[in-house]
Amino acid sequence: MTFHLRFWLNGQEVRTEVEPDETLLWVLRERLNMTGTKVGCEAGDCGACTVLLDGRPVTSCLLLAPKAHGRHVVTIEGLGSPAKLHPLQQAFITYGALQCGFCGPGMLLSAAALLTQNPHPTEREVREAIAGNLCRCTGYQKIVQAILAVSRGEVP
Amino acid sequence: MKKRGRGVAWMFYPIGFTAYANPSAAFVKVNQDGSAVVWTGATDVGQGSTTALAQIAADALGIPVELVTMVTSDTLQTPMDIGSVASRVTYIAGNAIVRACEMAKQILFEVASEELGIGPEGLESRNGWIFVRDFPERRVRLAEIARKAEVVKGRPVIGAGSYNPPTTFLDPETGHGKPYNTYVYAAQVAEVEVDTETGEVKVLRIAAVHDCGRAINPLLVEGQIEGGVAMGLGYALSEEMVLQEGRVLNTKLADYLVPTSLDVPPIDVEIVEVPDPTGPFGAKGIGEPSLLPTAPAIVNAIYDAVGVRIRELPATPERILMALREKEKEQPGRSVRDREDGRPEK
Ligand code: FES
Ligand code: FES
Repeated sequence: MTFHLRFWLNGQEVRTEVEPDETLLWVLRERLNMTGTKVGCEAGDCGACTVLLDGRPVTSCLLLAPKAHGRHVVTIEGLGSPAKLHPLQQAFITYGALQCGFCGPGMLLSAAALLTQNPHPTEREVREAIAGNLCRCTGYQKIVQAILAVSRGEVP
Repeated sequence: MKKRGRGVAWMFYPIGFTAYANPSAAFVKVNQDGSAVVWTGATDVGQGSTTALAQIAADALGIPVELVTMVTSDTLQTPMDIGSVASRVTYIAGNAIVRACEMAKQILFEVASEELGIGPEGLESRNGWIFVRDFPERRVRLAEIARKAEVVKGRPVIGAGSYNPPTTFLDPETGHGKPYNTYVYAAQVAEVEVDTETGEVKVLRIAAVHDCGRAINPLLVEGQIEGGVAMGLGYALSEEMVLQEGRVLNTKLADYLVPTSLDVPPIDVEIVEVPDPTGPFGAKGIGEPSLLPTAPAIVNAIYDAVGVRIRELPATPERILMALREKEKEQPGRSVRDREDGRPEK
């Protein structure tokens, strides 16, 4: 039994056939070739697969694709472009906030969702917003600094 | 009751093992426009070695770093490097790149010496210019010389270099010898809060002071130290691989606990630059050393807070409660809970 999935991906309407038990992560990467969203634990623990569903961060490895039907999904491909980086992306570069970069897509989307809902967060609120995104490389300090810099409007 | 304590730990760490071969090699070519391409086997896994090595190449050639293109870690194209291990890449691949650049620079200086009327040994290069060391205003564009070398003199500007910290081997009988070429040093201080009811430890702050020789790229060095501290914190408090009959029982991030953004405290990093004469521009290494003092500093801070020595890591709430109970048994009536000033009996 296939499911005719229709949703908005980075502002564009997408239609594709999926199995009802496929995850959104799988559909994005394997059916739509959107590999910016990373596969980490596939158990909801690491946050590497984070995307925005109607503006809220969700772990796409735990979300059955049919649940995205008719809804808006933003992946890292929808956050800025190489020619015009999102301010968070620019800040992550300036602050040296990523090393291997594997946590990056999820980290940036969690941060983007936070700043949309709460443009001037405290450091504690920033740390809470990214607590579901594990980073093995950076110790989080430069990530937190980068997000706070954007919230203060300090990044070009 | 919550008790605070501080602990300190020092370490030294070896860079550039010499007990067996430890080589890295590099190629370089300087183009007619004064840009350069460097081939190195050194692999960047996120630590930023490609950036640091490009900076080393730029300074060794005397050109802006923007003009350096790096070709890395391709076994078909790039020369030998034994790997991103042992905090060795900046030191060893960096030295190999310096040597390759010295060879290319020798060609440039020989060609430039005609123009500048002085032997190659009297020349220097910086920021795209070759100049007379004692009269820097006597200078010529490096790009011009690179073009002349190739087009007029028929001497393409290329270089190859390799570096291996002198392999000395160890005495097979005694294990004695000189196992490493150089060492880095560091100290870290941890401040913790221990909950004597639950055994939970919260790390409030870490100060990390590290020598890495010359810091080629201070932002990247800080990143290595901060990341290392977070790993050391996990090692101290939560990360434990549970084995049963050779099998790992906790294979998930749900039961192997890596620190989150809420577990890692603010980290004060200070880099102490002590340039090493054997390193590229004085650099040594910083990868692994960054995490070594963290766990002992935290465990010492726990001792300072509640007076128990944790000798098995991670210092989980369970282990801390057990140690507190032991202590109470040994010294009845002198439990930390009874002391008003919150300082432990020692
Ligand atoms: S891959 Fe989805 S949370 Fe780890
Ligand atoms: S940069 Fe490597 S996991 Fe975050």
